Amino acid sequence: MGFKQENVDEPIKERQEEFSTHPSPVKKSDIDKQNLAAPVKSAVDKFQLVPEFLKVRGLVKQHLDSFNYFVNTGIKKIVRANDRIVSSIDPSIYLRFTDVRIGQPSVMVDGIGEELTPHMCRLSDMTYAAPILVNIEYITGSNVQKTIEQKNDVVIGRMPIMLRSCHCVLHGKDEAELARLGECPLDPGGYFVIKGTEKVLLIQEQLSKNRIIIDTDKKGRINASVVSSTEAWKSKTVIIMDKEKIYLHLNQFSSMIPVMAVMKAMGMESDQEVVQMVGRDPRFSALLLPSIEECASYGIYTQQQALEYLERKLKKSTYFGAFSEKENRVTTILRDVFIANVPVRQHNFRPKCLYAAVMIRRMMEAILNKDAMDDKDYVGNKRLELSGQLVSLLFEDLFKTMITEVSKTIDAILAKPSRSSRFDFSQSLGRDSITVGLERTLSTGNFDIKRFRLHRKGMTQVLARLSFIATLGHMTKVSPQFEKSRKVSGPRALQPSQWGMLCPCDTPEGEACGLVKNLALMTHVTTDEEESPLISLCYCLGVEDLELLSGEELHTPNSFLIIFNGLILGKHRKPQHFASAMRKLRRAGKIGEFVSIFVNEKQRCVYIASDGGRVCRPLVIADKGISRIKEHHMKELLDGVRTFDDFLRDGLIEYLDVNEENNALIALYEGEATSETTHIEIEPFTILGVCAGLIPFPHHNQSPRNTYQCAMGKQAMGNIAYNQLCRMDTLLYLLVYPQRPLLTTKTIELVGYDKLGAGQNATVAVMSYSGYDIEDAIVMNKSSLDRGFGRCIVMKKLSATNQKYDNSTQDRIIRPQRVGYDSERMQILDDDGIASPGEIIRPNDIYINKESPIITKGPLKSSMGLSDSDYKPSRQTFKGPEGETSVVDRVALCSDRNSNMSIKFIIRHTRRPEVGDKFSSRHGQKGVCGTIIQQEDFPFSERGICPDLIMNPHGFPSRMTVGKMIELLGGKAGVSNGRFHYGSAFGEPSGHADRVEAISETLVKHGFSYNGKDFIYSGITGCPLQAYIFMGPIYYQKLKHMVLDKMHARGSGPRVMLTRQPTEGRARNGGLRVGEMERDCLIAYGASMLIFERLMISSDPFEVQVCRVCGLLGYYNHKLKTGICSTCKNGDNISTMKLPYACKLLIQELQSMNIVPRLKLTEA
Amino acid sequence: MEGASYQRFPKVKIREMKDDYAKFELRDTDASVANALRRVMIAEVPTIAIDLVEIEVNSSVLNDEFIAHRLGLIPLTSERAMSMRFSRDCDACDGDGQCEFCSVEFHLRAKCLTDQTLDVTSKDLYSSDHTVVPVDFSDSSGYDASEQRGIIIVKLRRGQELRLRAIARKGIGKDHAKWSPAATVTFMYEPEIHINEDLMETLSLEDKRSWVESSPTKVFDIDPNTQQVVVVDPEAYTYDDEVIKKAEAMGKPGLVEIYAKEDSFIFTVESTGAIKASQLVLNAIEVLKQKLDAVRLSDDTVEADDQFGELGAHMRGG
Repeated sequence: MGFKQENVDEPIKERQEEFSTHPSPVKKSDIDKQNLAAPVKSAVDKFQLVPEFLKVRGLVKQHLDSFNYFVNTGIKKIVRANDRIVSSIDPSIYLRFTDVRIGQPSVMVDGIGEELTPHMCRLSDMTYAAPILVNIEYITGSNVQKTIEQKNDVVIGRMPIMLRSCHCVLHGKDEAELARLGECPLDPGGYFVIKGTEKVLLIQEQLSKNRIIIDTDKKGRINASVVSSTEAWKSKTVIIMDKEKIYLHLNQFSSMIPVMAVMKAMGMESDQEVVQMVGRDPRFSALLLPSIEECASYGIYTQQQALEYLERKLKKSTYFGAFSEKENRVTTILRDVFIANVPVRQHNFRPKCLYAAVMIRRMMEAILNKDAMDDKDYVGNKRLELSGQLVSLLFEDLFKTMITEVSKTIDAILAKPSRSSRFDFSQSLGRDSITVGLERTLSTGNFDIKRFRLHRKGMTQVLARLSFIATLGHMTKVSPQFEKSRKVSGPRALQPSQWGMLCPCDTPEGEACGLVKNLALMTHVTTDEEESPLISLCYCLGVEDLELLSGEELHTPNSFLIIFNGLILGKHRKPQHFASAMRKLRRAGKIGEFVSIFVNEKQRCVYIASDGGRVCRPLVIADKGISRIKEHHMKELLDGVRTFDDFLRDGLIEYLDVNEENNALIALYEGEATSETTHIEIEPFTILGVCAGLIPFPHHNQSPRNTYQCAMGKQAMGNIAYNQLCRMDTLLYLLVYPQRPLLTTKTIELVGYDKLGAGQNATVAVMSYSGYDIEDAIVMNKSSLDRGFGRCIVMKKLSATNQKYDNSTQDRIIRPQRVGYDSERMQILDDDGIASPGEIIRPNDIYINKESPIITKGPLKSSMGLSDSDYKPSRQTFKGPEGETSVVDRVALCSDRNSNMSIKFIIRHTRRPEVGDKFSSRHGQKGVCGTIIQQEDFPFSERGICPDLIMNPHGFPSRMTVGKMIELLGGKAGVSNGRFHYGSAFGEPSGHADRVEAISETLVKHGFSYNGKDFIYSGITGCPLQAYIFMGPIYYQKLKHMVLDKMHARGSGPRVMLTRQPTEGRARNGGLRVGEMERDCLIAYGASMLIFERLMISSDPFEVQVCRVCGLLGYYNHKLKTGICSTCKNGDNISTMKLPYACKLLIQELQSMNIVPRLKLTEA
Repeated sequence: MEGASYQRFPKVKIREMKDDYAKFELRDTDASVANALRRVMIAEVPTIAIDLVEIEVNSSVLNDEFIAHRLGLIPLTSERAMSMRFSRDCDACDGDGQCEFCSVEFHLRAKCLTDQTLDVTSKDLYSSDHTVVPVDFSDSSGYDASEQRGIIIVKLRRGQELRLRAIARKGIGKDHAKWSPAATVTFMYEPEIHINEDLMETLSLEDKRSWVESSPTKVFDIDPNTQQVVVVDPEAYTYDDEVIKKAEAMGKPGLVEIYAKEDSFIFTVESTGAIKASQLVLNAIEVLKQKLDAVRLSDDTVEADDQFGELGAHMRGG
């Protein structure tokens, strides 16, 4: 054993060498006994960490963490910062919030709080929200007597609760309990239920705040900009190099300001000091010189002069808040707006000057060396804003609004000279403004917060419930903040720093390509962390305070600046020591695990970040290339005595953000680690996201194919959730017999796709057949379809409300007539006038026999209530595809927000595949069903295997989806030996993907050819086919695009009122347009009569009376039976002619604009 | 007018015969005949399958169409099928299940009253005709009869109920796969393997072994006594050419010659259980003969229509 222990840490290679270099027989026998019996020491299989990570963190943990942070910490901070409502009339009257918390999700029904479950909300169109409870302390009493009263648990509004967050009823529930609550255990949560619809607050990507970014502007000028964001103010400060001089650009100033003037205004009167602050390097001084000279040329030498100069440059109209008169406006701006993130304490502008100097220095470095430019697309310069942060902004705004409202009402009460009743502060709280504001913003997605100058649309989206994967994919979607400028390619390109953080495959095609991204499997997004303990810790670890340093000392050669969350703390003489000390503390759990320490050698800075929104991921720590995770750790994990958090706590694993990754040398596999290696990846396939993780062997495919599949996987039909049949979605696509893919990946198992699959394993023959398979069409076997392949269920929701009206009348639902007129269409109605479940519903059937009162406004005629004649029928009829039989699946009754009865019907339609339905494999190979052929005509093998579908081999050469071929091989091997084969991305070295060699061996063992090709007979002639056919199972997805929903034709039909032309679109039974290009063809061909027929006769023919004299349109007088020109006032020279109605309309519209088009008629 | 007769006298040799499985040789005939037989077995031999379902109560998790589809795919014993009428041709009824000539009625009543999940299987289907019942697989040897509870239709939990009436009708696999009596019908050309013994002798034992192993199926073996390569099972050969390629790769082209005999076929027939495999073949021949009769009489279409109804019309491309 001793021998083993000694060598445990050695890499395998060295070990093998040892075997060969010691050939002595004695030693050999020794090795044999001790070593060969022991298991081969391979790299520790760390895969098990991934499911453990996902178990702890979940797939949408970033959303949950962020929301939990807001609910537990953020909301308290906001309330603490604004805890007083003081009357402006009588300052002694005040209200103070002592505490705030969120209660259990509930709804008030007739004054009684009733517990809510998310599924209840979904079904009855409610908002899943919990009361915001505050403890208050306030002054009551009359003018003379004032007493302090306290009240606990006052409700000030309702906060929509994110599902599965710590305040959700689903939190910490096991599978059985979830099932009892009507919830799917595989559902990730992380969304809100607002008015019955599931809403996701998308992850927003933006440039990081409070950081210096060096960039070039449109004119190619190099600038340094800081977007400052503090609780008090948001601003953007830009220092720009223009014509060799340095300027400051700030919105509050009308033009650019020489930067030296700003420095002087802040008290840096000595030029020497500024030069020292920037750095004494002569190159810097040379660059600074023109600016100094310019400043001098304006005659600015003292602070006073500078302030006066700046005063003149101020924008005139800036209504810059309420600042005290004794202070200069410029000083205030410099204090509060200019680099707002650097605080000015007791009029000490020094930190700000230093910060500005550092900005200038960084900019100069970039001028001297283009490499020092910052990359805006670099993920380390990005922050992801999550739902918690967004809701917190929203809440803060609403809370402040409420406070001002309350103080206004209080003032109004106090202003009254004679107050009769004792006024109660607490009564004026608890209005609806917060509840309504939150609900409205989350349901519309329009964030319009003036206080923070946040105006964004489409922040929330209805959660995609098309398939399980669509839901997951939607939760990990990252949407960009800046507008989609079409031309630049930079932001769209794949950034190397996205590695492991954002999925390289999953991005939409077209407009948003590369801008919308998706998180990778193991990504974590940080939340804010307390700053002050970290700052004091930094000082303890030897950071020299900025206050104590002169400008000269700042940039001494052997010291690094310490920058904490964009704030310069000071400098350190031993940056590496400092960084490693901080990291040690982090690994020991003394500081937060998500704090990042990044030593930037080039900028000579140490960046410490604890702010929220950074993306990071876990990595295994290695010491000199040797993984800290040993076999026994993994065994403990498997035995369940060790969790992911234990790994973290024991310093075996740590989270690295994108910046800190630059200080690490990360080995992909343990075997590849060298002595410089600091970290080892957990599993390579985790660089992909959820959607790309479904693809087997994606690393063998051409990369766009994986991107296509990521988009298509979201359209595949299958299972949505375990509770799919209890849901009331507007549209639901389900597969009748969904299957688990024969060729799985580890990701599939991790996300639960094997439980909620969206596809079927089809036996595919890659061959040409019948000519109906050109252009990616597939030929399907009719018998397979008969047996249920590709069969799907489409569920649609119909709804009706029993409306109540102002004059206390309401709709009624009445018993259907069983005989007589319309009884035919009412057959499916139950005696209560509502369609009963299980009935077959055909187009034009009435599904609710509703009547509404004729008079809905004004007082009623009789007090006796309404008689039958006071109602008019307002039945609702089903409109569906003709000739198809749909079934009423479920009927649900509930009362909506306005306490009207709302009736929902789910209409179910089972469809078997037909020609034109769209299918796809998991490799971005989509195709429509070209034809359906009888089984006996299908080719068969001598084993009796007959394919389910035939795919044309032309699909392969140009697409290069080798992964699909390997999937076929693996699937075939899997079917023959009864084992699910794996095809995880990059999985071959770690054994998470089967090698083709191994698959071939299995195939041969079961009597197939190693290459997956079979000898096949034609089903039509019975003769063998000329070639061997590549045949085996491939997982096929049925996509939601089906012919039945799209096919459309029309003879005559509805017309648009205005133009009298046929309507447009299938939904309106519109016509098919002969467009410009079609028209051009006909003109070129010379088919004038056809054009005439298409463009007028069959479109909008109209007979007009034209006056031959004035050329204007007249009208037809039906009494006189002649045409009359209304301009000439006679009917003498009237001709009748046909015109497109649109032309007549144009003429009249032009006339209305004082343009007179006259028609000149000639004999034809 | 009378051309030369191409009449041949095909021979059938039965190799293996079980209730649901048959293997036989068909010799002295053409691929077209063999294929016609295969096609008829798959698509034209009539069986009985549930075609119409009236659901009275269904509170199970599966919806009505789903259950109806599953019921349709249950194989029913269809010995009677050949003598039954198609319900569309039946003049005695309108296909409502009351007619004994064309339909069989089934009832299913199941309700779960316990906390244990109740499996509703094909055994719960009660037939009005004892000759047409769901196929019972339990007697096929090797399985424990008590475990075989038929084909699961749906699973019910406490309180769920399924009550329905189903009508089974005669039909053919061409209309819907549920009427196809064949699970697998396939044939292969009998291979003829000639080993060039002289050339083979030039190979070392090692080479022989590697050559023998190059075939994915066990066609060849080495005689342990004589160390000669012998053909053990020519029919295991899948026409994969692996051995030929291997021989070429070894520099011995022509080591073996393999031909497909153009006139002999080895059929494998597996039945769904609706009819016995042997009966399936015989019925197929019967149907084929009827079709040929239709062709012969096709000059006189009216007569053909009278005699063969749909079949005749079908032959004319209807």
